[in-house]
Parts: sequence; structure tokens; C-alpha cells
Amino acid sequence: MSTKGTRIPEWLTVPFAGITPAPTQEKGQDLFPTGNWRSIRPVYRDKLPPCNNACGTNEKIQGYLDLVKRGKYLDAYALIKEDMPFPSVTGRVCYHPCEQACNRGQYDEAISIRAVERFLGDLGQALQRDVVKPGKPNGKKVAVVGSGPAGHSAAYQLARLGYKVTILEKSPKAGGLNRGGIPDWVLPQDVLDREIERLIELGIAIKTNTEVGKDVSLDSLKKDYDAVVLAVGLTDPNSVRAEGENKEGVIYGLPFLRDIGMGTSKVKLGARVAVIGGGNTAIDCAREALRQGAVEVTMITVEGNPKEMPCVPEDFHDMTEEGVELIHGRAMTAVLGNGQVEALQLYPAKFSGAINASPITINKDVPAEKFAVDNVIVAVGQHASLAWLPAEFKNERGTIKVDRFGRLGDTNFFAAGDIVQLGSGQPLMVVNAVGDGKRVAFNLDKALRGETLEPRKIAIDVIVDLNRMNMTYFPHFPRVKQDMLNPTSRKKTQDEVILAFTEEQAVEEAGRCFSCGTCNACDNCYLVCPEPCIARSDRSNGLYKILVDYCKGCRVCIEECPTGCLEGVPELDFDAGVVRMDTAFAISPGLHGRQAQELANLASRPAKEL
Amino acid sequence: MSYTELSVWTRGIIMDKEGRDIVNSIAASGRKEGKYAQAMENYVDNPDRTNCPTRKYCRLSDSVLENELTYENDHPNIVVLVEGTMVKGWDYMRGMPPGGTLVINTHYTPEYMIRFVPGADRLAQLVCVDAAKLADHKWLYYRLGQLGLDRLSTEGAAERSKAVAPDIAAPLIAAVVKSTGIVKMETIQPMIANQKAFELALHDLHILPLNPVAA
Repeated sequence: MSTKGTRIPEWLTVPFAGITPAPTQEKGQDLFPTGNWRSIRPVYRDKLPPCNNACGTNEKIQGYLDLVKRGKYLDAYALIKEDMPFPSVTGRVCYHPCEQACNRGQYDEAISIRAVERFLGDLGQALQRDVVKPGKPNGKKVAVVGSGPAGHSAAYQLARLGYKVTILEKSPKAGGLNRGGIPDWVLPQDVLDREIERLIELGIAIKTNTEVGKDVSLDSLKKDYDAVVLAVGLTDPNSVRAEGENKEGVIYGLPFLRDIGMGTSKVKLGARVAVIGGGNTAIDCAREALRQGAVEVTMITVEGNPKEMPCVPEDFHDMTEEGVELIHGRAMTAVLGNGQVEALQLYPAKFSGAINASPITINKDVPAEKFAVDNVIVAVGQHASLAWLPAEFKNERGTIKVDRFGRLGDTNFFAAGDIVQLGSGQPLMVVNAVGDGKRVAFNLDKALRGETLEPRKIAIDVIVDLNRMNMTYFPHFPRVKQDMLNPTSRKKTQDEVILAFTEEQAVEEAGRCFSCGTCNACDNCYLVCPEPCIARSDRSNGLYKILVDYCKGCRVCIEECPTGCLEGVPELDFDAGVVRMDTAFAISPGLHGRQAQELANLASRPAKEL
Repeated sequence: MSYTELSVWTRGIIMDKEGRDIVNSIAASGRKEGKYAQAMENYVDNPDRTNCPTRKYCRLSDSVLENELTYENDHPNIVVLVEGTMVKGWDYMRGMPPGGTLVINTHYTPEYMIRFVPGADRLAQLVCVDAAKLADHKWLYYRLGQLGLDRLSTEGAAERSKAVAPDIAAPLIAAVVKSTGIVKMETIQPMIANQKAFELALHDLHILPLNPVAA
């Protein structure tokens, strides 16, 4: 490298012309900013992992898996608590859309995210004091109607924002669907009780046996509170409109589970029980029926095969393991018996796909089948019970009419959960209700502070293509399975069916995470850079810096990034950070120029000088 | 135009031949037209390093070129950047007299690129040509995975490929000749191997006329 014309700083001058200090010398690199060799610039750009995107409440799943992997369980628990008030509950009951979306599923087996969440949730339950603290009081009062997943989530987030929150619950115990819709052998009552205690620790008042429209009126809510969140859920079971449905022995799914959950059940099941419906509640009812003393439980669905059933496949598998029989492609048209159920009349049926008529086509050309039972549990969905709400706030689906921020008109009333989401295309699941409660709480906070509400931002770059990651860093590794109780023994008890991960299992499973598109501080870029031009103050996402003065754009870090969070961005897209090299190239004519000038002047110079 | 200096800035190894083709073909055309011409490469830039910035020079004159010992152009009238990002790297405009021309191989517009040009007030025109696209160039731009050519050394490159401007040099030569008229089109065009790209570039130049500040 020539140094002619180079402006060499004082402290780097050497006695010989034409010799430049080595780049390795102290500050020697200042002379040779090789960054201008670069046509692309590596940039750390975290993408959204598909699990975070799929989660109903957008838990930072990659984040807490990474923390669990490093043994920072408390940090992981704190991270999960940002979006999820009760990881111990969702760690048991969630239908885990995150695991369906997990990129590892394309590679070997999806990560058992729910089990790790349960591990963290149980850790949080065991803590003397929760990591979450109430926000600085802002002097405003909010009522949350309903203490199910959506109400719980909204109240939790509002308390963290500094509101004085009161939960109004019509049942004798708080918990809503978490208590009344989920059997004990999935979610033990004491786990939920502990989570409700956590709410009280946050300063939230819970008034049970208080029903809106009966014990308190809508007007008094408006008068007493600055804002109200209606998270009343879907409380009334749908009927199948069969003849004789009012006979004794016909039970509806949700009240059946709710009464058992609240401890007020008086139902005595016979030996033969039929369950009508093919959803998750129907599955829970069938399995609960076994535990309530039924000997033969049969599930009757309109769906032609198990794949069409709107349920979680794992739960379906567990149910068949416990010995529940299935009859597909039949609809119940009448309940036969003399005051008491004796048999069901069944006809072949299928879904017609009609929207405004009955969606089920029943074929009555063939003779009816008779199916002898002692009890029938009807679990074909729920609808809202909103007699107390003015008609202007109701929509044609029979739910609350809200704008896209969850607000009722321009009032300070908001609504969240199933009561809004029914028929909106969202699955009516706990985690979706929690997410809705969270978003509504933030919207409420903004509205009360007089800020303009902004619609939910849709993630632009969700990384789902494995080619965008460097898969050579990920060996195939099987999923850690959660232990389960034996099907023959478990179906007679209320013991929890699925067992928790041990610490080792949780760490092993968290270690399988690809950390799709998000820097997990693996240090690979730092190690592979041939120039020492990646700097980091600590091994942490966001603390890696690229010294653009020296990066030659060789792409090694980009190619070797396991997670795909490093991207090559065309250098010309950057206006800033121009590294113009003035040093190594001639600014003045330099040595050669001076020689040429001397040679040109030779003729005019006196001979003596030569 | 009695005396013109042309400097080409290119990158070691990966675009070395492209830069050489530009200066050689223009100098050869100049000689055919009866001008005095020189074409040189810079050795102090150490062009055998991948991506290293290197320079190629060309001089054309109606009279005898007396400067035979200095090969660097101190006052280039025309500067060509064979690779777009070089626009940010160096003061390639130094010594340019007012009324010069800068040709850049880029898919960006001249209006965008001018923000990176140091001393742009000396330019009479800024020319942008998307040579990589016009020459259907596959591997150079951020697609190293597709790089199947033996580009690890310039040694023997001339022997391997005797064609002049088979690749991205062709549109750049077209851009230089069309925007400046340094040589006649009919003299230089028969030399070019990639006629298709050359023709395309004649119709797909982005020229931004500017008012240079008088010296």
C-alpha cells in the first residue's frame, strides 16, 4: 500500500518515507478504514418468531425459552408475566397455537412450549412474593365485570398501570371459565386460587356474588367508576333443538362442568352417558363423565371423522385412551323416554356449510337409530346472556358491539373476551381471551389519558422459512415428553393427568429453541468475524455492534448467524455512516508526481545541478 | 476536446477486468481515430486483493502525450465507478476540473446518488446506469452463493477471456461514450463483446444534468 500524500497523524509518523504503520499497531487501523470495501452492511434486525406471532397474547416465547436455557428462571417468569397474568393456568390448559406454528415442527418436533410455561408458572406460584408490582396509583377507578381469562387479564394489566380495579363476579368464587369450564384434572383449583390471590396482592378488589343487571345496574357502574371492562363471557349453553330436550337427565356441557368446578353439582350420572358435540368442551365433558361414575361414555358428533372435529388433537387422543367411544356423522333429533331420558333418536347428518339456515343437514330418508342412554350431555357451544345491556350495544351475533379497540361507542365502557370474539373468527380459547383483555386494558388506559387509539400493528416479518436460518447449527433432537398418568387409573380420579416438567427437562426443552430470527447472543458473529469489527459490551441481544469503519462486507457473520437475525443491507441504503478514506490514496500528486515534475523540468535546469 | 483524462475506480479481482476493459477499449478507439492515447493500471492499489479499491487510467489527446512517466490522473475529466458502493468510499472527485462527468454503475437514480458525491458542484452531469441488470449479471450483487466462476485471482484472466467487455463493462462503456462523446460510437462499438448490453445501455441511461461552479 502506497502512502504517498497520506496525512499521517503526528503520533504515527515514522522516519522513512513510504513506510506505513502496520494496521495492528495501536490505533494503526485509523489509517485504513477498510469499511469502504463493503457493498453490503450487516445489520442486526430481529424478526418476530412464529410462536410469538401465533400466541393469542403475543407472549415473548423465544425470550423466556432463552432465559430458561440460561437458568434465569425468575427473569423468564417476569418476562412471561408481561403478557400473561397466569402462566400456571395457560401452561396447563392452553391449546398452544405457538407449538403448531413452531418452526422446529418442520424440522423434527415442535418445542413443548406449554410445558416450559407451566414450569415457570409453577415456579411463580411457589414464590413468596410475586415479581409484579402494582403501578403508581393514578387515582382512577375501573370496574371489570367477570373474572374469567379476559377479565383477569384486563384487571391485572390495569392494576399494573396504576388503576384501582374492582372485579365484579356473579359466581360465589372468582375464576370464571378458568374455574367453571376447565375440569380439576386439567387445572387444579388450588393453582387457580393462588393466581387469584396474586390479583388481590396487586390491590384488586374482587366482589363475588355480584351480578350486573341484578345486584348492580349499568348506570351505577357508570356513576361509580371512570371506566368499565365487560368481560362477561358466554354463559348460556346452546341447545340442539331436539324434541324432548327438556326431559330429566339431559344436561348441558358448560353448566355441568361449572357446577362441578364451583362445588355445587348435584348431578348423579347413570352408567351409560352420551355426549353430543365434538369440541373441546364436549371432550372435557366426556372425560369428566367417566370421573363422575359413568361406565360407558359415547360421544356423538355430526363431523364425519375425528380430523374434522373442532378440538385439540392431543385432548382427543387422551380421551380415546380413557375409553370414550365415538359415533360420527349422526345428529340427535329427539330425546326419547317417559319424563326421564331412556334413549336418543339419531339420524345420519353432515354439515351443509349454510350460514343463515341450520348448518346441519339431516338425512331422514333412512330409518332412525335408537341409542339407549341414561344421561345425555349436550355440549354444542355457548351464547351470551345480555338482557341487561341496552340494545344499541348489541350486534346481530348476540354479542357486544364494539369498535376495533374494544370500545362501546364513545362511552368509557370496553368489552373483551368471548363476548366480543364469538363469531369473529378468533378461536374462543383462554389465551385469546387473555390477549383481548390485555389489549383492551391498554386501549382503556390510552382513552382515559386522552390519547388517540391506534389499531393493533400486524407483524410484518415473521420468520417461517428455515432457509433464512443456518440449520447446520441445529442438530436433530427429540421433543421432551411430559409424563402422564396411566389412562386406566386416571379416569376414576380428579388427579392432574399431565405431569409437570422437572427443571432438567425444562432446560433441555428450552435449549431446543431455534430462536427464529431473534438474536440470542450466541456469540457466533463475534467469533467468526475475520476483522475484529464486531464489538459487544455484554452477551445480550441488542448489545452487539458492528464497527462499520472496518467491516469489509464479507458476509461471513450473516452466513454463520444461526437464527437469521443478521441481514445484509445494501450499503447505499444508508445515508449516514459514510466512511470516506482519504489516507491511503494520493491527495497531492505525491512522490510519482514530484518525480515527473522534476523530469519535466530537467531540460531547463542548469547542467551544474545535475 | 483536446486533452481528456479518464479514471476508472473498480474493485480488486472481482471487477478488475471490467475496469481494464473500459480504459483499454476507449484508448484503442482513440488511437483508431488518430488520437494519442494511454491506458494504464495502478499497481500501488494492490489489485490482487478481493474487493480492494483499484484504479485504471486512460488519457486521450490530440497532441503528443508528453507525460509518459506518471500514470496517475491528477485532473480526471471523467470518473467511472464500476461498483455503486464506491460512491461512499473515497474522494474520487479530487482534482476534477469543473464540467466533469461521473458515471456510476447502480440501480439507484442520479437524484439519489448525488447525496454521496463529494464535491458534486464540479460535475456537469451525473450518469447512472444499471450495468449489472443490463448485462444480466448474476453473481456480483449479494448473491455469493451463486458464484460459480473462478474469480479468485486476476492471474491469467486475460488468457481465459480474450473478449473485451463481455459483462458489466459493456453498459458502462456505452454510458461513458454516449454521455461524453470521448470517442465515436461507431469506432468503439465493434470492439465490444456484449453487444446486447451495450445497445440496451444506450437507451437506458439516467443522466442528471448539473450546472458546475466555474473555477
